[in-house]
Amino acid sequence: MVIAVAIDESIDEVRVLADGITYPVLMDPDHLLTEMYAISNVPAVIWIDEQGRIARPNANEFGSDMFSEFTGRTCEGHFNQVRAWVHEGVVPDDADSQIADLDDDEVAARLHFRLAAHLRRAGDEEGAARHFDAAAELAPLDFTVVRAAMPLRGESPFGEEFFKLLEEYQAAGSPFHGINPAS
Amino acid sequence: MTTITVLGDEVATTAGEWADGSPLVEPDALSAAVGWTLKPEGLCRGDQCVLVGDGSAIRVGDKLDLAAVANAVDQPTVVDPDAGFVVLGQPNATRRAALQDRQAPDFTLADLDGTSHSLSDYAGKKRLLVAFSSW
Repeated sequence: MVIAVAIDESIDEVRVLADGITYPVLMDPDHLLTEMYAISNVPAVIWIDEQGRIARPNANEFGSDMFSEFTGRTCEGHFNQVRAWVHEGVVPDDADSQIADLDDDEVAARLHFRLAAHLRRAGDEEGAARHFDAAAELAPLDFTVVRAAMPLRGESPFGEEFFKLLEEYQAAGSPFHGINPAS
Repeated sequence: MTTITVLGDEVATTAGEWADGSPLVEPDALSAAVGWTLKPEGLCRGDQCVLVGDGSAIRVGDKLDLAAVANAVDQPTVVDPDAGFVVLGQPNATRRAALQDRQAPDFTLADLDGTSHSLSDYAGKKRLLVAFSSW
């Protein structure tokens, strides 16, 4: 089964994406999952077996080919891997990949983000900005920290700031906590 | 005295004070604030106890430093004395168990209708956990 978790503040935006979906779609506005599972960008797909063991860790896999021109990867390969796992219990070679742990700064960035989002909900825009800034300073290439803050700061997550982040991210060798089949 | 708000598994507001940037509470307020209780054997939660020696690392006078308590149990914190907040992160051991031992940490989140779901509600099934977003 699929459990989808929106690393997102906006239930309205998520509702649009979840239209017609029958599996659970959960809201994670406090980014609990990015801390627990060391997720640094979305989409991140994690395979969890019947016993609660991670069968394949964080991987940057897409549910459609909407971005395949951009990522150089289609979703069919992943779908086939999932089918083989579900029906035959076969996992791909990269399932043994060791995912790098978050460092202390990356953890602190997540906590600053959580406080910023909380202050923003309480109407404290100045306090929110201070902690979004602190988060971005600690984890400047983490999309769940920097890009996720863009719509909460009145910036477009598809605009100039995003392309600046993307450029810096790629210049740094695309540091991603997980398997990145496209890289 | 002022109030200290802890953003942890829950949002908990407790009476306390800030001293040199440290969030201090009375010992009997600790459990409600961070989920750990100071007992003779150490800091305890459920059947788990963490030794704290003579307690000098977590005590300031007759009060307890919430950030030092969190540090003693290996949970990260961020504090904002001006706003009156302590953010209490997940135990670092939880993430390490996910990354090294491949144990999927359990979590509980609400769906779009507000109904809570836990990962463990679906134990016994193969689960594809998909983190996504609108951004």
